[in-house]
This record gives sequence, C-alpha cells and structure tokens, in this order.
Amino acid sequence: MHSLIQLSIVVLLLPLLSFVILIFFNRRLPRRGDFIGVGILGSAFAISAYIFWSVIVQTYDPAFRIAWDFTWIDLGNVPGVGPLQIKMGVVIDNLTAIMLAMVTLISLLVHLYSTGYMAGDKNYGRYFAFLGIFTFSMLGIVLSDNLFSIYIFWELVGLSSYLLIGFFFEKQSAADAQKKAFLANRVGDIGMWLGILILYSQFHTFSFEQIYANLAAGQFGLSNGWLTAAGILLFMGCVGKSAQFPLHVWLPDAMEGPTPVSALIHAATMVAAGVYFVARIFVVLTPDALHVIAFTGALTAFMAATIAITQNDIKRVLAYSTVSQLGYMVLGLGVGAYSAALFHLVTHAFFKACLFLGSGAIIHAMHHEQDMRWMGGLRKHMPWTFATFTLATLALAGLPLTSGFMSKDAILAGAIGFAKVEGGGIFYLIPVLGFFSAMLTAFYMGRQIWLVFFGESRTHLKPADDHHAGHHAHASHDEHTDEHHSEHGVHEVSWNMRAPLVILATLSVFFVYSPDPLDGGKGWFMKMIQTPATVVGENNHQKGELLAAGVAAPTLPEAVPTVAAHGEAPAAAAGEHGGAEKGGHTYADPRQAEIIHAGHGAHYTAIYISSIMVLLGISLAFVVYVFRIIDPEQTAIAIQPLYLFSLNKWYWDEIYEATFIKGSMLIANILSWFDATIVDGIVNGAATLVRNFALLNDGFDRHVVDGMVNFTAFTVNTTGAVLRKLQTGKVQTYVVMLLLAVFGYFVFYLTRLIY
Amino acid sequence: MLSLIVFLPIIAGLVILAVPSSQKQIIRIVSLLAALAQGVLAVLIWRGYNPSLPGITGSFQYVEKVPWISLQLGGFGSLNIEYFLGVDGISITMVILTALISAIGVLSSWTIQKQVKGYFILYNLLASAMMGCFVALDFFLFYVFWEVMLLPMYFLIGIWGGPNREYAAIKFFLYTLFGSVFMLLVMIGLYFSVLDPATGNHTFSLVAMATQTNYIKGAILGPDNVFWRYVAFIVLFIGFAIKVPMFPFHTWLPDAHVEAPTPISVILAGVLLKLGTYGMIRINFPLFPEVFHASMYVIGIFGAINIIYGAFCALAQKDLKKMVAYSSISHMGYVLLGLAAGNSEGMVGALYQMFNHGTITAMLFLLVGVIYDRAHTRQIEKFGGLASYMPVYAALVTVAWFASLGLPGLSGFISEALVFVGAFSSETTRPIAMVSVLGIVFGAAYLLWSLQRMFLGQRRSDAAYDLVVGDDGHEHIHFHDWKGKLDLDGRELAMLVPLVVITIFLGIYPMPVLGMLTTSINKLVEVLSPVVMSHL
Repeated sequence: MHSLIQLSIVVLLLPLLSFVILIFFNRRLPRRGDFIGVGILGSAFAISAYIFWSVIVQTYDPAFRIAWDFTWIDLGNVPGVGPLQIKMGVVIDNLTAIMLAMVTLISLLVHLYSTGYMAGDKNYGRYFAFLGIFTFSMLGIVLSDNLFSIYIFWELVGLSSYLLIGFFFEKQSAADAQKKAFLANRVGDIGMWLGILILYSQFHTFSFEQIYANLAAGQFGLSNGWLTAAGILLFMGCVGKSAQFPLHVWLPDAMEGPTPVSALIHAATMVAAGVYFVARIFVVLTPDALHVIAFTGALTAFMAATIAITQNDIKRVLAYSTVSQLGYMVLGLGVGAYSAALFHLVTHAFFKACLFLGSGAIIHAMHHEQDMRWMGGLRKHMPWTFATFTLATLALAGLPLTSGFMSKDAILAGAIGFAKVEGGGIFYLIPVLGFFSAMLTAFYMGRQIWLVFFGESRTHLKPADDHHAGHHAHASHDEHTDEHHSEHGVHEVSWNMRAPLVILATLSVFFVYSPDPLDGGKGWFMKMIQTPATVVGENNHQKGELLAAGVAAPTLPEAVPTVAAHGEAPAAAAGEHGGAEKGGHTYADPRQAEIIHAGHGAHYTAIYISSIMVLLGISLAFVVYVFRIIDPEQTAIAIQPLYLFSLNKWYWDEIYEATFIKGSMLIANILSWFDATIVDGIVNGAATLVRNFALLNDGFDRHVVDGMVNFTAFTVNTTGAVLRKLQTGKVQTYVVMLLLAVFGYFVFYLTRLIY
Repeated sequence: MLSLIVFLPIIAGLVILAVPSSQKQIIRIVSLLAALAQGVLAVLIWRGYNPSLPGITGSFQYVEKVPWISLQLGGFGSLNIEYFLGVDGISITMVILTALISAIGVLSSWTIQKQVKGYFILYNLLASAMMGCFVALDFFLFYVFWEVMLLPMYFLIGIWGGPNREYAAIKFFLYTLFGSVFMLLVMIGLYFSVLDPATGNHTFSLVAMATQTNYIKGAILGPDNVFWRYVAFIVLFIGFAIKVPMFPFHTWLPDAHVEAPTPISVILAGVLLKLGTYGMIRINFPLFPEVFHASMYVIGIFGAINIIYGAFCALAQKDLKKMVAYSSISHMGYVLLGLAAGNSEGMVGALYQMFNHGTITAMLFLLVGVIYDRAHTRQIEKFGGLASYMPVYAALVTVAWFASLGLPGLSGFISEALVFVGAFSSETTRPIAMVSVLGIVFGAAYLLWSLQRMFLGQRRSDAAYDLVVGDDGHEHIHFHDWKGKLDLDGRELAMLVPLVVITIFLGIYPMPVLGMLTTSINKLVEVLSPVVMSHL
C-alpha cells in the first residue's frame, strides 16, 4: 500500500474518531470536547496538506493516480458470472489531493470559528460530533474509487446535513427544513442509484476504473439510449445534492442550520459534491446527457440569480447565490469545460465559505438579526468582517484580480466555445444565461454589501411586533447569546472567528492559483486538472479497437483512460492556443477536442463580455442603492408581478406543495382507505360469508337434518304412544281383541268366499 | 445439537409448569436462562458451521435423522416420516436470528403481569416451534412445527393483547390455517411423487424433493404433470405469502401487531414473517424450479406492490405501531423482489434483508413499546418535542428509524442495495426494480415525518404528557401514572443496545452473515436456473 494511501485513510478516519469520541463523551470532557474536534481536524488538515504537497507540488503530473482496494463483500462463485466481489477502495489523483486539502481546511476553519459562534449552546458537544461525521462522509466521497462507496458516503453526508440543518430542532421551521433536505436529496439519489445499477448490470462491478475500461472497449451491452439514461440518472444525484433545478428548493431552507454549518456544508463542500461526482463520471456522459446537464446548469444559475436579487434575509441571498454558482459549475461540466468547472468549485468553496462565515459574524454581532433591511452601517463596527466580506464579494461577482474571475470566465469561455461547436442556435442560450447571471450576481452582491455595511444603522426601523416574533423564534438559541452580550452594542467578533475569515479571503485572491490574473489556464490548477477523454465518444468503438490493438498509451487497468497522448488523433485539437498549454494532450474524440479548442479561443471574448456584465451589475446596484436614482421600493411596485415572482422564489415551494406533497398524501390516504375498506373488507367479508354460511348450515342442520332425526323419533314416539294404549296388561282386553281379530278374519274370509 | 436448541424452550416450559404461579420472578428467570442457553447454542452452531458446504440439495450440517413414524397403509405402501434436522447457509442465519429475537423477547416480556406462568409456557412453546421450522428438513416435521406455532401465538395475542385482541387473534389464526391446509395437500402430493434415492421409498425429505431427478414420471406432481405442478406451486406460494405477508393477504398483520403485546410483536415481525419467505426459499422454489422461473415476473410485481403500497399505507397511519406494521409489509417486499430476481445478488440480498428486517423491526417495535408503556397511547399526534426530554430514547429511535429507511452504514442498506442490484441485473425484473426504487423515497418520507412529529419541535398542547419544572429549574415532562424512569431504563437498554450494535456492525462489515449465505445461495441459484432444468 502506497504511503499516501495510508495517510489518506488516516485523514478519512480521523473525523470519524472525533465523532465517536464527542457523541459519547462530550458531557464528560472539559469545554464539551471542542478542542478534540478542532485538534483532530487540525491533524487531518496537516496530513492532507502533506498529501497535497506530495501530489501537486512535488509530483506535478496531470496523470498522477494511485489506488488501492479491498474486498468488502465476497459473493463467492456466482453462477453465470464467476467469482464476484464488491470492493471498496481509495483513489488519489490530483483532484482528490486538492479536494482533500480544501475540505479539511474549510472544515478546520469552521470548527475553529464554531468555538466562538456556538459557544454556550446546550448541545455544543453534539454539534462538533456532527461536524466530525460530516467531514468523515465528505472525505469518503472524495476518496472513493467506486460508485457503490461514493453512494454510501453520499447518503451519509445527507444524514449529517439532516442532523445539522435540524440542529435547533425545537424550531418547527428547522425540523421542516431538515426533512425537506433529506427527501429532496433522496429523490435525486434514486436517480443516481438507478444510474449506478445500469452500469453495474452490464459489468458486474462498481469500480470507476473497470467500468470505464469496459466502456472504452465498447462492451456496453445495452443500447446507446441506456447509456445516455445512465448519465442523466447519475446526474440526478448531483441535481439533488448540488441543489440544481428542479430539486434546488431544499438548499435555501437549509439555512435553518447554524451559520458555520451553512458555510461548510451548504456552500463550500457538500453541495459541491454533486459537481465533484459529475466530474468523476464525466467520461461516461454521452453528448445528449451533457446537453441536459448544460441546460440544467444554465437554467439553475439564471433562476437562482433572479431570486437572489429580492431576498431580504442575508443568508438566503447567499444561499441562492450558492445555487446559482453551483449552476455555473454544472453548466461548465455540461459544456465540457471540465477543469474550469472544478476550478470554480474550489475558488467558490473558499470565497463562499468566507461570505457565510462573514454573515455569521454579522448575525452573531446583530444578536441573531438576519434581515438586511434592519442592518446598515456595520462597516465602522466590524472592519475585519467588512474587509474580508468585500473581498469575497468581489470574487463572487467575478472582478479581476480575484479567484472567482478566473474560474467563472473559464466556464463562460467554455460555454461560448461549446455553443460554437454545437452549431449555435439554442445552444447560445447557455452562454447568454451565464453572462446575464453574472450581471445579476454583481447586482445582488452590490446590494447586499450596501445594505449591510454602508449607510446608517436601521435596527430601530424594525417594526416592534416583527422584532418580537423574530426573537421568539430564536428563543432557544438566544439563551446563551444574551449571556455573552450583556450590552447591546455591535462589535467585531473575537479572534477565533476572525482568523478563518482572513484565511479564506486570502484564498480568494488570484495569485494563489495563477500568476496571471487574467488567465487561470496559466496556473497550477488548470494544468493539474485536465479534461479526461470520454469513453463514450463517437469513435468509441474505433478507439476500443485501437486500445485492443495496443496502439493507445494507457494500459488498462493501471492507468485510467483519461488522456490519449498519441499523435495520430485528429489534429483539430492541436491549435495554437490549446496545444502547448495542454502539454501536448490531444483528444481522440473529435467533439471533445473541438470544444476544448473552441473554449480556449473564446477566452478573451468571455473576459470582455463578462467584465462588461459585471460592471453593469455593479453600476446598477450603485444607481439603485447608493445614489438612489431608481427607488427600489417604487420599482418593486411598478413591476410587481415580476417582483413577487422573484420574492416568492418562482413559486416552486407552492407548486411542489400542491402537487407532490399533497398528491402523495392523497395517494397515501386513498390507499390506506382502500386497504382498510376494500382489501380488509374482502377478508372480513369472506369471514362474514363463511360465518353466515355456517349459520345457514346451522339452521339447516338444526331444522332439516336434525329435524329429520327428531321426526323419526317423533314418529316412533307417537306410534309408541298410540300402541301403548293397546298394551294394557288385562286378560279381558286381550280376549276381546282376540275375538275381534277372529271375527274380523271370518268377515274377511266370508267376503272373499262370496265374491 | 439441533434437537437441543429446538427443545430447550419446551424443557424450560415444563420446568415452569412445576413452578407455582406466584413465583413470577423464577418463571421469568427460567425463561431467560433457556433463551440465553439457546443463544449460546446458536453461537456454537455458528462457530462450528462450515460455510463452504452448499446445502440445499445435500451436504447439510448438524444432521439428525431418525425414523419417526412408520405406518403400513396396505395398498398405498408405507408412510415413512423422519425426524430429520439439519442446517445449511440459509437456515443457519435464521437460527441465529431466532435465538437472538427470542432472548430479546423474553426481556421484553418482563413487564407482563397477567398470568405470568401461562404466558411464559406459551412463549417457550412458540420459541421451540419457530426454531423447529427453521431446522426441519422433513416436510411433515416442518408442517408439524408450523402448525404448533399457531397455537401459542393465538393465545398470546388473544389473552395478553389489546382491546380488540380476540378479533386479531382469530384473524391471524384462521388466515394462516387457511394457507397451511393447502400446504398439507401439496405435501401429500409431493410424498407420492418423490422417491428417496437412498432407500427407494416415498419420502417427505425436503432434501430429496429438492432434486428434480427424484420425482417419479407420471406421478401427480411428477416432472411431466405440468398443470398440477403449477397448481401446487401456486397454493403453496399463497400459503407462504400469507405469512410474509404479501399483498393482498396482508391485512391480518396490522391488526395482529396493534393488538399484540410488545414482545409478541417483536417475535411476529422479527421471526414469524421470515417463515413465509423461508418457506418459499426452502420449499416452494427449489421443489418447483420451472414454475418459479415462469413466475419470477409476477412475484417481482407483488414485491413491488408490497414495497410501494406498504410505504404509502404507512405514510397515512396515525397509530405509530400500525405505521411500523405497514413498514414491515413494505420491507418484506424487498425480500420478495430479491427472490424474484433469481440471481445471487438478489437472493443474497433477500436473505440478508430477512435477517436485517428481523433485527431492525424488532428494534422498532421495542421502541414503540417503550413509549406506549409510558403514555398509554401510540397516536403520533399525541407527542411532540420528545427529543428534548428523552435524549437517549430519541437517539435510539433515530438510529432505528434511519436503519429502517436504509441509511448506509446500517445493515438494512446493504440488503436493500443488494436486492436492487440483483433485481436490476435480471432482465425479467429490471422494470420492476426501476419502479420499486420509489420505495426508497417514500420509506424515508413516512419515517422522517413521524420522527419529526413525535420528537422534534415543541410539545403539543394536547400531548400525552405534561411539562413540569423540576427541582433543578429545568423543564421536564411527566407521563400520567408512569412511575419508572423517564428515559430508557437498564432493561430497555439491555434489549435495544445489542440490536443497535448488530445493526451498525453488520452495516459496516456484513460478511459474518453473508459469508454463511453465499455458498448456499449460489447453489440455490444453480438449482433454480433454467440451464440446470433443461438438462432434466
């Protein structure tokens, strides 16, 4: 076993250890054991950083990959298949190394931050235990080398998300939100599960590597439609977890959880797991499946952005912004901008975590006020929060010199290239929606910054009853905060909450990723994460033959068929832009090669357009909120239907409530009635029938059968009674009867004689 | 060994017979000792079991075989019934499950106050009969155990049950009897159709019956008598399906559960339902493999109906115990679906699901019993916010509920996953599997919804308990006329913790159970496969 594999398993198990210790013993430990959580995560991060260093910095090889597995379930010698095992395993490649470091770092920062934010909560220890099991599950997703284990950890992050959303479970809204999150995710999961089953049913393995090798060799036994279906179904898992349309509704509600949790799970890591998963299965996605993915992502990015502009809750704005940014990532994968999408995943994780932790600091300082309408002027009181929040906002909006600028533009460039290659028309909708959403992003973030940090404090403007209601809802959580804030002044948060903000904000600056602020492609990330070659492309079968003939470089199964580094592939990819930067990697599939090439060609176009859109958005925010040339309230009234449409989140909750939820309950009630009345009715009816027949039978038995018996007895009895009269025991009577008989005989005899 | 494990409870019952009925504690302890001894024996049997021997058509282990009844019937020849016990991978898992659930059932029976002596005598009789069913390899002997089981069950529900207990008991009794009458006919038909290759006589041996070459051509259930073989398969299947219970023969189950006392619900869901599917695996399918092969699709559809219909009915229930009863119906649907797949993944999944459903549902019913003991109601709407006041109970309910909805890391997930893997891999059941996955969502829906209504949020105004401020200034809840500990007490933990540990352990490392199963299941799949049949 490679030493890095051993270390990665240690990293995986450390947070589980934290969970086990804290869930059982937190009440017996000083400080409820929070130092154990922080300490363990610190160690996990240190090891992850070492893995990152070894893989990314020292090895610096795009094709780096080591794997290890063991037999988990041995089904023995299965008839028709042969020896069959279900294996579990760990894979480390560049993506894994980056994700490991990212997840453990953000988790560590959130642990640290929570020691301040959650201080005094009555379930403080349990909170850290839940963070531990979440981190464990998330690392499991990252390290999995097969579909089955990724599905296991997928469900486990769902569980930890459930537990943490409902951490303040006394609140009805939190209990509702956690259930909603779990169920929406399960809907996505059944799709994912069916997709896994389609692939398993053909190859009797869950291993990524073996499935891809088999597919590359053209051994898929079902039609191509099934393959597309498998891709779309697997993507459904991402739709649930990464809150894509139409299953996005759970994520905004998930903000009921503690704010550090929102930062860790519902912004930076878990929701990005969907994108990570699609990246892992990228090579099996057919062009049709990719189109579905691209349109889903574009629609999600746009829809969420339109909703975010009208929300008043500081966390909800960020939540919809997360949905929107996840839409970008999904869009990026759909259009084939693989490395750009993953780049955005990482940059977004840092700046969005920073934003959420910043909003947590604000909420903490404002005594659990989340409504931006009653904030304002916080710049002066919370300078650290203000600075880091603004930096992260710039990254989210995609201004130059930030990380978000590079990654978002790479996605949009890919989208333009994709639309070109696919022949324009409807496919241009994808970059158009992308650019438009970029403008909306700049607008709503400008609005948020202004409402929260600038102007005068509007706390006193809050209607009294509203204030009271808000406090009541937070009653359980407020108990501790009041102890800490005896005076009602707003002030900067303590160091353990400030340090994570600073680190995360630093990681949102361009130089971390690339020396050239205008081109992420020059940085280490885009060099290390490269689009893997599809195994289901148009010339898949041809390629399969090539592989069989030993022409292609990757020798399966040691190397994943990611890059086909040989010269005789179509020359289309070897363009002036891509070839050199891609380190000579070319793509065997013409479509893929063309898209990657066109994406590079559109690089500067994308920069120009998106910069214009971002400037437009920011200017609009200035016009509306700073200079108040356009009054937001008046505008809202003027375009009321649109305003309400956005404010009410496109009415998806209402639509689902009316259809799926009511519908399910209706079916449940009908079936339950059917069960009690019809099915059981038949059983009871049959029983009644038998009973009635028995009663009838009883009647027949008593009256007819027994009646005959009794009649016989009666006849005998009656006859006996009559005959008894004759038998008197007196000789005289007998003599008379004898004489009568003799007389009768004579009469009879004489009558015969006469006639 | 097997005789001992079967008859140990009956011996305990005889001992109890000699104990005066006022000595309740002695009666309980005797029962507990018997159950624990049974558990030790089960562990010994498990340790000594060789998992590389397949069973099904031969090579059974711990075999005990002696002639039992031998009657000369003149023209019909002789009637030979054997006392024939043995285990293979399929039965040994059920033996372990039965021993485990019986022991937990005894602990759960501790609170029974009414006619303790009679209760435990019947309970021990039931435990013996269940164990006997799983190890009997002679059809006649199996039938005897099967019928003997009904009698104590009838009284245990009918005397120690809830308000409507007599109705439920009679319904249970008659329904099962209805199924077993046909079983008797098929059994006799089989007897006259099968020859034991070793002796040349007719036989009730299930081992001999599982080999198709032992059937006499021209006999009533001989290989060429297609019509009667189908009829026999169907009536036998219905007999077992009633026990599973399979839609539409399931309505006795909710009634029986609602009326039965907690330990009897635990036994009923934990072991008795498995007898239905065990009967299918041991008797129905291998004896009529070609009919099984023709009916895989239909069985799969019934499995899917069970899964989805059961889940919807559970969603609509207001009584917690009834909800759990319908969840049983839903989960036994996975067993049917896995069996219908006819391949190793599906069948291993089905068997594993039987085991896991046994442990998980036992846990669910025990937890329902805990709250019923305290509140004297099981109406979901009568609770709310319990998690704040009974944290240990809430934590265990959460584990059990999540185990039931198939969360990875807990045993139920692996069995459901294998069932789906198998059902999807078989082209016959693939479309059914695609529909059945809906059960994953609706299973989560009813469980999470009930969890929320009972444990999360705040106390409802019409709740079955009061809020009181305790000496320490904190709020507590108080159940009317409940003198015991508010949260789980030691006895309740002793019942639940082992089940929780098993559920988690087998969810992470399933091989201790699967390792015993696979060889037998692979053999069974071979016996059932059309390739083997075509060689006949």
